[in-house]
Amino acid sequence: MDQFWNVTLTLLEGFTQNCTIFLLTLVMAIPLGILLSFGSMSKFFPLKGFVRAIVWAIRGTPLLLQLFVVFYIPSLVWDISFNRMTAAMIAFVINYAAYFSEIFRGGMEGISKGQYEAGQVLGMKKSQIFFRIILMQVIKRIVTPISNEIITLIKDTSLARVIMVPEMLKVSERFTVQGLIWPLFYTGVFFLLFNGVLTLLFSFMEKKLNYYKG
Amino acid sequence: MLKVEHIRKSFGKNVVLRDISFSLKKGEVLSIIGSSGSGKTTLLRCLNFLETPQHGKVSVGGETVFDSEDESSRKESEIRKHRLHFGLVFQNFNLFPQYTVIDNIILAPTLMAKEQLRQHGFCKGADNMKQAQRMIRETAETLLQKVGLSEKSDAYPGSLSGGQQQRVAIARALAMEPDILCFDEPTSALDPELTGEVLQVIRGLKNTETTMIVVTHEIGFARDVADRIIFMDDGLIEEEGTPQQVIDNPHSARTREFLARFKQFGD
Ligand SMILES: Nc1ncnc2c1ncn2[C@@H]1O[C@H](COP(=O)(O)OP(=O)(O)O)[C@@H](O)[C@H]1O
Ligand SMILES: [Mg+2]
Repeated sequence: MDQFWNVTLTLLEGFTQNCTIFLLTLVMAIPLGILLSFGSMSKFFPLKGFVRAIVWAIRGTPLLLQLFVVFYIPSLVWDISFNRMTAAMIAFVINYAAYFSEIFRGGMEGISKGQYEAGQVLGMKKSQIFFRIILMQVIKRIVTPISNEIITLIKDTSLARVIMVPEMLKVSERFTVQGLIWPLFYTGVFFLLFNGVLTLLFSFMEKKLNYYKG
Repeated sequence: MLKVEHIRKSFGKNVVLRDISFSLKKGEVLSIIGSSGSGKTTLLRCLNFLETPQHGKVSVGGETVFDSEDESSRKESEIRKHRLHFGLVFQNFNLFPQYTVIDNIILAPTLMAKEQLRQHGFCKGADNMKQAQRMIRETAETLLQKVGLSEKSDAYPGSLSGGQQQRVAIARALAMEPDILCFDEPTSALDPELTGEVLQVIRGLKNTETTMIVVTHEIGFARDVADRIIFMDDGLIEEEGTPQQVIDNPHSARTREFLARFKQFGD
């Protein structure tokens, strides 16, 4: 029993790292993703091309590789080094912002031109059209893909172990080398519980947004 | 009331409106017919400032609302000031799906009232938002009654038939009290059995002296409701006159050819 509590506490300590990465990534990647999505829809071609190229490169390469690049390249090339957590945060935020931006862009581009024009013809200002008409429809369209991405995010946080961030899977190795295998599987319970709560939250939101069709 | 002079509009090399001029008296109903691609939609969009013509002038009640010679009439602020002379009912309704029927109608007037109260301290006899809101809601309810949808006030557009949605769209446009209400083929996205209810509503507006421009493929309806008919062909007004002149005794060979295609279908 003592051993069980010991393992639980150790894993929990590791899991706070996962949660930290998760929360900070959400808080920073969503606004950055919105910015990137506006960039990728810009009428100014150089900006649009630049943003799309970056998003393409980020989405086309493994997050694992991006973690290595952010952690090792600056210290090798410029002799500056980020601490592990900072490096992890930079990689996660950029990676998720790229994915979010594509979802936002898809959501925006899916709104018919007629919705904007109907607002214009009724004398509404651009900002009014966006906030009163478009935004809600975009949110409804993106809530499912964003939820999926967020559920993937909590699982992805364990990748931070490759740059020695002491997240839950990393600390569970401590027990594995002692010959204890079950703590490794026990980590799965943490993820399942966490995602169980998220899934409930998202399905509640989806239901709320289902008050209208279309 | 409305005077349109020498409107020209092209998209790149594609010249869509070549030289369109016509005028309209208050309370008059003008119907525009013509084959698809002849520029009817583009003309209505130019009047509603959704497109900017390369050349031409539009005035309403003597006031110039667009002049291609005058750079300032292209400015966003100028456009917003002038566009409410016109209303537009779209082919595919474009109701706002997240708002109930009544909220679709009162959204724009409410925002407008807020702005006017802030700028001038009054809005159509109301000097506070509560009062203005009550007036707007009353107007909206009257309009809903007029289009026969009072009982759908709290329904969402997605739960309505196409004909009902189009009637809501008409009420929504009327709520802004435009001088000239434009319809772009208001029934062509509807199942045939639903066109009647929408045409009936438009007919009903004729008696209330609303100035209207109706682009339509319903030749029979155009003959009934219009005071004047314009037949457009390839960006030009090919023929213009009373329904008797244009539909029953067309002069132009192109008009005759166009109408013959409809008569084949027993119109
Ligand atoms: N936004 C646009 N960009 C390019 N071409 C357009 C655009 N809108 C309309 N057109 C062209 O203008 C022509 C006339 O279209 P339209 O005004 O819709 O005709 P109608 O309503 O009489 O069928 C068509 O050839 C169409 O391809
Ligand atoms: Mg058309």
